[in-house]
Amino acid sequence: MTLTAFPPPPPGTDYDDLRQEVRAFLAKELADFPPEKRAESWNGFSRDFSRKLAQRGWVGMTFPKEYGGHARSALERYVVSEELLAAGAPVISHWIADRQSGPLILAKGTDDQKRRIVPRIAAGELCFCIGMSEPDSGSDLAATRTVATEVEGGFRINGTKVWTTYAHVADYMILFCRTGKSDDRHGGMSQFLVDLKATDNIQISPIIDLGGEHHFNQVVFDNTFLPSDALLGEKGEGWSQVMSELAFERSGPERFLSSFALIEELIRLLREDATEAQQAEIGRLSAHLMVLRQMSRSVAGMLNEGKNPSLQAAIVKDLGALFEQDIPRLARSLVTRPAVPGGRDSYAAVLAYTELAVPSFSLRGGTREILRGIIARGLGLR
Amino acid sequence: MESMIHDMAERLLRDHVTHRLRAAAASGQRPEALWTRIEEAGLAMALVPEAAGGFGVPPAEALGLVRIAGAHGLPLPLAETLIANAMLARADLPLPGGRLTIAEGEALRLERRGATIHARGHLTLVPFARWADRIVTIAVLGGDDHVLSLPVKELTVDPAQDLAGMPRDDAEVDLALTEADVAPLARPIGGMRGLGALVRSLATAGAMETILEMSVQYANDRVQFGRPIGKFQAIQHNLATMAGETAASRTAAEMAAGSYDTPAFALTVAAAKIRAGEAAEKVGALAHQIHGAIGYTQEHSLHHFTKRIWSWRDEFGTELDWTRKLGRFALSNPHDTFWHFITDSTAQGARA
Ligand SMILES: Cc1cc2nc3c(=O)[nH]c(=O)nc-3n(C[C@H](O)[C@H](O)[C@H](O)COP(=O)(O)OP(=O)(O)OC[C@H]3O[C@@H](n4cnc5c(N)ncnc54)[C@H](O)[C@@H]3O)c2cc1C
Repeated sequence: MTLTAFPPPPPGTDYDDLRQEVRAFLAKELADFPPEKRAESWNGFSRDFSRKLAQRGWVGMTFPKEYGGHARSALERYVVSEELLAAGAPVISHWIADRQSGPLILAKGTDDQKRRIVPRIAAGELCFCIGMSEPDSGSDLAATRTVATEVEGGFRINGTKVWTTYAHVADYMILFCRTGKSDDRHGGMSQFLVDLKATDNIQISPIIDLGGEHHFNQVVFDNTFLPSDALLGEKGEGWSQVMSELAFERSGPERFLSSFALIEELIRLLREDATEAQQAEIGRLSAHLMVLRQMSRSVAGMLNEGKNPSLQAAIVKDLGALFEQDIPRLARSLVTRPAVPGGRDSYAAVLAYTELAVPSFSLRGGTREILRGIIARGLGLR
Repeated sequence: MESMIHDMAERLLRDHVTHRLRAAAASGQRPEALWTRIEEAGLAMALVPEAAGGFGVPPAEALGLVRIAGAHGLPLPLAETLIANAMLARADLPLPGGRLTIAEGEALRLERRGATIHARGHLTLVPFARWADRIVTIAVLGGDDHVLSLPVKELTVDPAQDLAGMPRDDAEVDLALTEADVAPLARPIGGMRGLGALVRSLATAGAMETILEMSVQYANDRVQFGRPIGKFQAIQHNLATMAGETAASRTAAEMAAGSYDTPAFALTVAAAKIRAGEAAEKVGALAHQIHGAIGYTQEHSLHHFTKRIWSWRDEFGTELDWTRKLGRFALSNPHDTFWHFITDSTAQGARA
C-alpha cells in the first residue's frame, strides 16, 4: 500500500550548517520582532525582509542558476522554510512565488517569461497571488466562470476572483480561467500571468477577515486586456497545470507550523514546573510534530526526485491542519490565562490571534473534506 | 524500498499465515512448522551484524521484517527473536537458535556469588514466554547494563495472554547464570523497553496497513441501499482518516528504526510508540465501524489485527509512560528553544 509509505529523506540531508546560518540571520533580523507578530506566521508581509532573505540566497533556492536561482535541493529549501516558519518570520511577500508560481513558470513558461520574471522572484522583489477561487467556485474549481476571450493581440478577461490573498499588494496574479468550451468538465481552462501593476481595468477591493485584518480581496476583471504573451503554458491545459501546482502548495511545513508561535508561548509558561499531566500533553504534541516534520521532509525528498507526491501531500495537509488547529484547545486545557486580542501579555495576545486564525487552516489550500476525497480516491474508492 | 529479504518474508507469510492458523494460535496451539520455515529462511538473524554471523542487512531493513510480520498477524515471536539475537550478539554471547523472546529486566536483581552471577526477580507479561526457549533481557549489575539469556525451562512460568490471545506470561527467576548466560554490554542501548517499543510500533504500522486494506476491500464489496458502502462519503472520509493515521504511524516507526543504535533513538522511539498508540485507537474504531456486525465476530479476520494493535499500545511502556517521558525531555531540554529540541531530536547526527 504505497499511499501509507513515506520514504525517509535521503541520508546526509540535515544541512545543519545551512540551518545554523539561517538561525543566526533570523536572530539578528528578528531580534525585536514580538510574539504577536510572529503569531501571524506566513501571513506576515515585509518586502524588506524578503529582499534581505534573497540577498542571502534563500529565495528561489531550487531555481536554476541561469534564472537567478541557486540550484539547491528541495530538502535544502525545506530547511530554510521551516526555520522561517518556526521563527514566525514575515514571509508572505515572496512565499507564494517561491513555493508554487516560480516553479510553475519554470515548468510551463516561455523562455521570455522565465527570463523576465523568475530572476526577480529569486531576488525577493516580486509578490504573487493566486487567482483560483470565485464566488461560485470554491472547492469545485472546475466551476470557474471567469472567462478569457481571444481578441486581436491577446485576450479580454471578464469575471470575479475572491479570497485572493495579498492581491492588494501583489505584483502578479496567476489567473485560472476558462478559455474555451469543452465536453470534459476539466477541459477548456488556462492560466495567465497577470501583471497587476501594469494592467488596466482590474478592481481590487478588500475583504476583512475574521480577525479584523485585510489579507484577502475581491478582484474584478472588467473587460481587462491581457497581451497574448500573458498566457502561461498551453491554452486548454490549465487544469492539469493547476493540479501539479497543488503538490507544491500542500505539502510544505506551513501546513503544520501555522500555530507555532502559540506552542513556543505555551512551552515557555510550562517550562518552570509542569505537572505530569502537562508533561504528557507536551510529549504527545512533540511526537506529532516530529512525525509531521518527517512526513513533510519525505514529500520534499519525493519532489526533489521529480515524483508527483500529490496524494502524500494531501495526507500531510490533512494531518497538519488537525494538529495546528488543535493547539489553542491544548493551550487552554493546560494554562488558565484568558485570550486577550492585542493584550500586553504575549501568551494572551498570541492565543487570541491564533484562536481566530485556526478556522482558516482547513479551508485554504483545499478543504479537509476535499483532501479526504482525494485520499479516498487514492485508496481505490469511488 | 526494494528488499530481497522483505520479498521473501512477504511470500512466506502470505502463504502460511492464514486465518485458521491465527485462530488456532489464539486458542493456544503453537505453529510449529511455520517457525521452522522462518528460521530456515534466516529471518530471525537479520538484525545480527555480519561479524557475528548475520548477513549484513542494514538495521532499518532488518527491522522492516517486523512491520511485515505485523501486517500478517504472525502469531510467533519473530520480532522478539530478532531483537534477542541482536542483543546476544552485541554482548558476545552465543546465539542458541530457536525461539527467543525479550523482557524488560528492571525488576531483576543481579548479584555476584563467587564466580557466578545470580539473577532473581519476577518478569511480567513476557511475550510468548511459554513458547520460547530463552528470555533475553537487560539488567544492571554494578552500574553496567548486562545482557541475560535465561533458559525458560529453568524458570517458573505462569501463563496469561493479551487481548489477541497471544501468550504474555509471568516468569519467576531465581537462577545461577553460566558464562554463556550473561555478559556486560560494552555499548549500552538504553534497555529493553525502547527496543520493545520499537518493534511494537513497527508491527502496529504493518497491522494497520492490513486493517486499512481489509476495510477498503469491504467498503467496495458490501452493498447497501443499492450501492457499495464505499460510495458513501462518510465511509470514504473515515477510510481517508485511517490512511492518514496509518501513514503517520509507519513514518514514525520507520524514523525510529532508521535511528536504531544512534543517540536520536531515545526520542524517535518515544514518538513512534506514542503515534502508534494514538493511531491504534482511531484506526481500530473506524475499521470496526466500517465492517459492521460481521467485523465484531471471531469468524472475520479483522479482530486478530485490531486486538493486536490494542494490546501493543500497552506493551513496553504504555502511551502515558511514553508521553510523560518525551514531555519531560521537551520541557527540560538543554536547547534554547522548543524548536531546536524538535529539529535536534530527529537529526541524523542527533545531540539529544
Ligand atoms: C485565509 C484564506 C486564504 C485564501 N486565499 C486564497 C487565495 O489566495 N487564492 C484563492 O484562489 N483562494 C483562496 N482561498 C480560498 C480557498 O481556496 C477556498 O476557501 C476553498 O477552496 C473552499 O472554497 P469555499 O470557501 O468556496 O467553500 P465551499 O467550496 O463552498 O465549501 C464549503 C463547505 O462545503 C464543503 N464541500 C464542498 N464540496 C464538497 C464535497 N464535494 N464534498 C464534501 N464537502 C464539500 C467544504 O469542504 C466546506 O466545508 C483562501 C481561503 C482562506 C480561508
